Amino acid sequence: MRVLLASFAAVFLLTFIANPTRGAGWFWDAGNALGFAAFAGLLHLTMTSNGRLDVRAHQSLGYGVLFVALVHVFWFMLGDGAVVEFLKVGAPDYMWHGIVSFILLGYIITVALVPDRFKAHRDYASFRYWHRVLAVITMGTATYHIVVSNFYLGTWYQGVLFAGLAGAVAFGRSFRAKLGQLPVVGIAVYVAVSLVFAAAFTVARNLPA
Amino acid sequence: MKVFFVIVFITGVFIVVFGSPVAKEKPVRDHYYGSPEPILPMSFAHLDHVTENCILCHHNYADDTGGGLCMNCHVTDPQLWPLLERQYHDLCRSCHEEKAAEGVDGGPPRECMACHLGDDLP
Repeated sequence: MRVLLASFAAVFLLTFIANPTRGAGWFWDAGNALGFAAFAGLLHLTMTSNGRLDVRAHQSLGYGVLFVALVHVFWFMLGDGAVVEFLKVGAPDYMWHGIVSFILLGYIITVALVPDRFKAHRDYASFRYWHRVLAVITMGTATYHIVVSNFYLGTWYQGVLFAGLAGAVAFGRSFRAKLGQLPVVGIAVYVAVSLVFAAAFTVARNLPA
Repeated sequence: MKVFFVIVFITGVFIVVFGSPVAKEKPVRDHYYGSPEPILPMSFAHLDHVTENCILCHHNYADDTGGGLCMNCHVTDPQLWPLLERQYHDLCRSCHEEKAAEGVDGGPPRECMACHLGDDLP
């Protein structure tokens, strides 16, 4: 639970260290807060993937992260009639990175366990390697999507810190190993924490001046 | 779950192609302002921008690069046309974002439909 809260706190605090009252209206702030919650979930999944991993719990939380990311995507696609124009050919590259991240997340979660794993990978070592590589690419493309879309992380140092956080978690395997096997939270806890943080984020940015 | 994810993905593609089934308003691409390809409609109310310095948008008042409506050059000039979306987002949205950062109600910083509905305002 502490790792999950630390992941959420790090992600959300970075959005507040500059222009903490900058908001785009409750609809946009809530949708983007869910995107940040999905990213915090990615951090938690990575931080807790050391040693003797409880693969069922890891996959279950993966579905939770995918679900929150799904709500983030469909929230905008359904709620604003013009958003889909940003998901077509000619869309900014940071939107394409978001799409790639979402599809990769779905892929690495849904084919992670047997029997589907056997269809995609000839052995466990191959699966481990590609699961790790695709997870890093998922985090990288998600980071690019968030940083370059450039609204809540509007200063250069917020972007650098956010990318640094993602990089440290994605590539800090030796450091993570020293922490030992950290517990994976349940999907219900993760979704509940996501909703609380999203609500706080939205309210903070839409308080009357 | 795999089946669910595939259904969700296909649903997403349908929404991208055919538009949101629940959004109250949807923009219609067309050859607005004589554009060579269908573009989104745009709203702009001069009355909402009277406190801004005219030259922020009307750069041609100072640099003698064209005249008339913004669209005369930015939508029809073959060199400017490919930059339309980026230039307008940079100018309009960046200004709205700066106002939002100052805590001022300075127009929509993100809501797409707030700007991409055509209007009859002066």
